[in-house]
Amino acid sequence: MVKLFDTQQLRLINKYAIRDFSRSYKKLWVIASTLFISLLLLSLTFSVKEALNNEITANSKELLGGDIQLSTGIDPLPDLIVDELKTLGVVSTAIELATMVSSIDMAPVFTELRAVDDHYPLYGEIVSSPPGSAEKIFSTTKPMVLINESIQNLLKVKVGDDVLIMGKTFEVAGLVVSVPDIAESAVFGEFAIIGKASYDKFELSSGGSFLDYEYRLKFSNPSNANEQNKIVESIVAYDDTIETRLPGESGQRLGRVIDNFSNFLNLVSVSAMIIAGIGISNTLLSFVNQRNTSIAVKKSIGFSSNFIQLMYFYEIILILITTSIIAYLFGVFSPLLANELLPKSLGIDLQPTVSLIGYLNIFFIGLLVVLIFSIPSLYSISEIKAVALFRNTFQPVSLNFSLKNIVLLFILVVILTTYFVLQTEQKFYTVLYFVAFFITMLIFYGVSRLLISFLKKFHKFSSNGYRIAHRNIIAKKSLAPIMTVSLGIGLTLLLTLSFVANNLKQEISDTIPSMAPDLFFVSIDRDIQPDLESFIKSIDPEVMLEFSPMASASFISLNGTPIEELVSENNRSAWVVRGDRRISWSEKPNPDNPIIEGEWWEPGNENEMFISMDSRAAYDLGMSINDKITLNILGRDVTGTIKNFREVDYRDISINFAIIINKAFANKLPYEYIGTLKSDVSSNDILARVVEQFPNVSAIKVDRILSQVSGVLNKIFIAVTGISLIVIVIGLIVIVSAVLVQTTFRRYNNLIYKILGVDFPTILRAMTIEFVLIYLTLVFFALSVAIAGSYLIVENTLQLTWRFDLGLTLWILLTTALVSFVMILIANKSIFSPKVYPLIRNE
Amino acid sequence: MNAAIQFNNVSLSYGSKVDPVEVLKGINFSVSSEEIVSIIGPSGSGKTSIIMLASGLETATEGSIKINSQEIVGLKENNLSEIRRKNIGIVFQSFYLIPNLTATENVLLSLEANQKYNQEEEAKKLLSEFGLSHRLDHLPSELSGGEQQRVAIARALINKPKIILADEPTGNLDSANSQSMMDLLFEYTKKSKTSLVMVTHDNSIAERCDRIIEIKDGQIV
Repeated sequence: MVKLFDTQQLRLINKYAIRDFSRSYKKLWVIASTLFISLLLLSLTFSVKEALNNEITANSKELLGGDIQLSTGIDPLPDLIVDELKTLGVVSTAIELATMVSSIDMAPVFTELRAVDDHYPLYGEIVSSPPGSAEKIFSTTKPMVLINESIQNLLKVKVGDDVLIMGKTFEVAGLVVSVPDIAESAVFGEFAIIGKASYDKFELSSGGSFLDYEYRLKFSNPSNANEQNKIVESIVAYDDTIETRLPGESGQRLGRVIDNFSNFLNLVSVSAMIIAGIGISNTLLSFVNQRNTSIAVKKSIGFSSNFIQLMYFYEIILILITTSIIAYLFGVFSPLLANELLPKSLGIDLQPTVSLIGYLNIFFIGLLVVLIFSIPSLYSISEIKAVALFRNTFQPVSLNFSLKNIVLLFILVVILTTYFVLQTEQKFYTVLYFVAFFITMLIFYGVSRLLISFLKKFHKFSSNGYRIAHRNIIAKKSLAPIMTVSLGIGLTLLLTLSFVANNLKQEISDTIPSMAPDLFFVSIDRDIQPDLESFIKSIDPEVMLEFSPMASASFISLNGTPIEELVSENNRSAWVVRGDRRISWSEKPNPDNPIIEGEWWEPGNENEMFISMDSRAAYDLGMSINDKITLNILGRDVTGTIKNFREVDYRDISINFAIIINKAFANKLPYEYIGTLKSDVSSNDILARVVEQFPNVSAIKVDRILSQVSGVLNKIFIAVTGISLIVIVIGLIVIVSAVLVQTTFRRYNNLIYKILGVDFPTILRAMTIEFVLIYLTLVFFALSVAIAGSYLIVENTLQLTWRFDLGLTLWILLTTALVSFVMILIANKSIFSPKVYPLIRNE
Repeated sequence: MNAAIQFNNVSLSYGSKVDPVEVLKGINFSVSSEEIVSIIGPSGSGKTSIIMLASGLETATEGSIKINSQEIVGLKENNLSEIRRKNIGIVFQSFYLIPNLTATENVLLSLEANQKYNQEEEAKKLLSEFGLSHRLDHLPSELSGGEQQRVAIARALINKPKIILADEPTGNLDSANSQSMMDLLFEYTKKSKTSLVMVTHDNSIAERCDRIIEIKDGQIV
């Protein structure tokens, strides 16, 4: 009887386990390798996530650019207010605007331009090439600009060349590698920095709504930051459209992206680990069966089942401890590798962090998986009877699913799921994933039983190859269940992700370009709009040109309740009510935006604001027809009534607004235009001529944006598909281990077939038929689950049209089949030419 | 003197209650301490079943079995394991040494099951007395059949059990090895004042015992 704290007994268990492990470690390679791969994946994810979060926390002031940031939108702060802020410390002013940068002979490039004063940056530094070039943008002798590598490549310019910004000539001082307050356009698009003095001197402002004034403060006395933050907030309290941000909020967006991606990786890791668990279970069971006699002898001597179970469990724990430590150490240093892979323009330098909690986190997850999958195998030890020693008749034992074990397993699965759910922000999706995963596992197990019972009833072919394959599949130790579950889940995951990725890529590369305009004009002054329209029509009379009026507004409340109290950060449509939003107006409904609830308004009525909402956003935000919305338009709070919901399809990248108001009311507002253009004439030519004639007009080339998005998506999907391939690799290891476990049994069978005159081609044919039957069955269900899963994601979550790609499907299925079959053949190589003598001698 | 083993009206059957296969029917016998008893009979008569019941590895369908006056019928696995550890040593026809343990480690196993630790010298001494001083660190696969059975007997005896149960211990050995093996078993059983119950087909071996119990069709003849 094992007592929990009987140290002598525990020492004995330790001694036996280590001795057994050191003499039979080769038989435990599957447990070690599959556990290691899945723990490594988990460890990499945790370590990189932790390092990124540490980096964000440690550099929160650099990421914000100061101790506090004020965004005032299109209007600068009054000088009096700025002076008041200066009493607290250093104030840095930056202006961000969208504009065009051009060079001789090259099409202008839509660029995020940042004009900064000489206090910028208050924390950190601008990393530029050549070093020191950043200082030149404050030169008073000649206007200079720092451009990023993307602009350099597009305009084919080098340091010292001239570029045009809104008709003014700037010399390229150097390349901006990174700025401390990360600009997304610096990473993924076009980004440039000039001195604020140049901006003021040339009056570069487009005057449009795509302009943002930002003020950052570095307190003289940073130790009293909270107090000073309150003072700053009281100074700007006169205008509730001024947004303040503190260092803790600076990396929130990046943090959310990291959280979402690492959550996905964690789920893939745990999937890999669960499939590894199937391998652990299978290997342990065969391990127990191979030690049938030894276990029976130990029992005959007087060792209890508990003692023997504990001993083998201890061996698994030793493997878990070893593999988790190695995996954790690899993970700890992975941030150094991530530094090499992350864009330099992010300016992020991840550092490895070793923490006991971090290790225990990985170990605990591994322990839960090991417990879940080793319990049914280890409890089979109690079924081994020592009386068999007298009769020399050993029956192989099978997984022990007693009621007690089922309850225990259920509790452990709930703990595992809860543990994961508690660690993620996406709780609902994580639970959904686990439920779907376990259901899929059950489906695949059911599928294998279905195949076996189907074959038991129908076996009408007389070919020897088929008959042997048939016998192998319906045999007690059939490969069908383990192959169907472990390969089925990996294949389902790969197919689902590939279908989603492929649909998204097709949408971006085919569907959207066919619908989208060539150019998207932003922030066009209403005074130049008629001239611009005539000018473009003079270039191409057949041009499809559409202009819409636009004003800037921010969402204040819904039915009198502040909107931030009603809408959480995680709400899918939170973007509609957060920050500045562009609104438009119309007298008639747009035919492309069908009304699905409510009615359009009657013309006139200039004293009352009517609102038409994007239906998806409205439903997400819990709005109803006749609800009252308060918007802040140009510093004034205006309350209007929701009259209808429109179905808006943003995919065509034409002018679509989430909020449209009645024209009669809007006529009183100052406004500008945005526009779209589709033409047979080259968009580069049109753009070059427009920018030359109207230097303050900015236009985005849609194909450039799509190629950027496509490029980023491609990288993400390569990573995602690569990661899901790990699940398949682990599945294959599990299958190979299952094959190896069966080798003795199959070798014996093949010997009998050989003695009976069955030749090698027939045995090979039998193996092929067996594989094809199992694979076709699992493919049918993997494909069904993947199609259903990807359809739901594409149609409901991404709101795109789902399409099936036969070529991609066949490529994935055939490649997986080929790799799996070759692996199985390699694992089976010893059974093709069984040695007769040892088997006849029962050795 | 107390009986080391006491069978009272013991029956053993397998299969369903409707159509049971009766292996043993109303067996009554006892073995005194230090007594050497052989059980003989034709194949399938139930000889090994008696050893299985006496070791507590099989449960009687009816009747009472006492080991050193302690009733073992109806006990749980853990209690039976304890009784086996403290009272019984078993020798099998097929030796059943643990393949990945050396000769010494196989013998030590028995001591360690009984919570007697760090007694390697004891195990080596016994094996040396059995003529295996040159095979102490050898694995079973490196030993001859006779050597393997000596290790198995040493494993059964090392714990100084009150009862040795042997199931055809010479069944897999040639006649020369059989004789020397039996000499060894008898000598050490007597020396350690242990009871020995041995199933055998060999009349010459049976005749060397204090008493012979003959079984036929599941009953004592």
